[in-house]
Amino acid sequence: MKKIILLIAIMSSGGHSYALTQKIEVLGMVCAFCAQGLEKNFRAKDDVDDVFVSLENYFVAIESEDGIDNKFITKVINDAGYDVRKIEIFPGTMSQIRIENEK
Amino acid sequence: MLVMKNMNKLYFMFIFLLAAHQSIIHAAPMNFKGSTTSMTQVSKDYISIESSYALSIKESFGAKTIKAKGNGYETTSGEIFYLRKLMRKNTIKSQLNLWLFTRAGFIDIKKNKIKEHHVYLSPTLQFDYETKRVYGMFSHQVLRAGHENFDTTKIEGGFSFYEAGYTEIQPWFILKTKNINSLNNEIKYTPSLRFINKSIFMDAGISTDGDASFHFMYTF
Repeated sequence: MKKIILLIAIMSSGGHSYALTQKIEVLGMVCAFCAQGLEKNFRAKDDVDDVFVSLENYFVAIESEDGIDNKFITKVINDAGYDVRKIEIFPGTMSQIRIENEK
Repeated sequence: MLVMKNMNKLYFMFIFLLAAHQSIIHAAPMNFKGSTTSMTQVSKDYISIESSYALSIKESFGAKTIKAKGNGYETTSGEIFYLRKLMRKNTIKSQLNLWLFTRAGFIDIKKNKIKEHHVYLSPTLQFDYETKRVYGMFSHQVLRAGHENFDTTKIEGGFSFYEAGYTEIQPWFILKTKNINSLNNEIKYTPSLRFINKSIFMDAGISTDGDASFHFMYTF
């Protein structure tokens, strides 16, 4: 199932990128000053290529070549004081997430 | 006397530079694991500077210095503190926290030309709740030094003018109330404007008795 979703993600990117984007819904993320810890800690991991935080829609998206382990994602979120509601593979690129969620 | 005054100035300058060098702070008294948080609060009768390091998302330790005056008293104190998050409740649109500070320090008290020096152990309980549009906080500190009672109670509440994105500055209106036993004859009300973005937290207000205050935090 994961492979099918991955294939859809790659196809929908139009062949321009082979990166995998994971979208994490976060509980308790209500202020930018507090949420910056998430961005900082995800960016500190070598495998992570890009991070996007949406306060408006309560999620964090991370882009990487092969995907990041859910346990690691959950640990980073918990270490920042938040809880994970859902982790999913986004069938698209980080650019699409930015376009859809940036004001 | 002059030497003591200069020593005090140097002491506060040193602490301020230390704080500014490490970073500067927030609304909840702790940020993410491994972060250093510093904060300064300045008004006519009250100056405090503090810096803390988060061992985990649940506990941090730090140091704080305070210079306060009022009602004929002048106090200078220095303390180390251990902060423990007792409870955190996250929902999709809010967070709720309960914190316990345990402080140990010294306080110099001057009143009617009489000087006293005490060491103290002081607990503080703080409760806060916030969404992207609403904020509320209550805290109570028990501080007894000799026969003096400097217990401090704070209540803050407010709202943001609009919802902001992660990279935008979000403006808030916050009404702060504060009472320090012995130093204040009555509760102090300070309407404030607060601005938050992902690295900076600052607020400024003028109390109903005309005392301006400024609060600045930065984290990196």
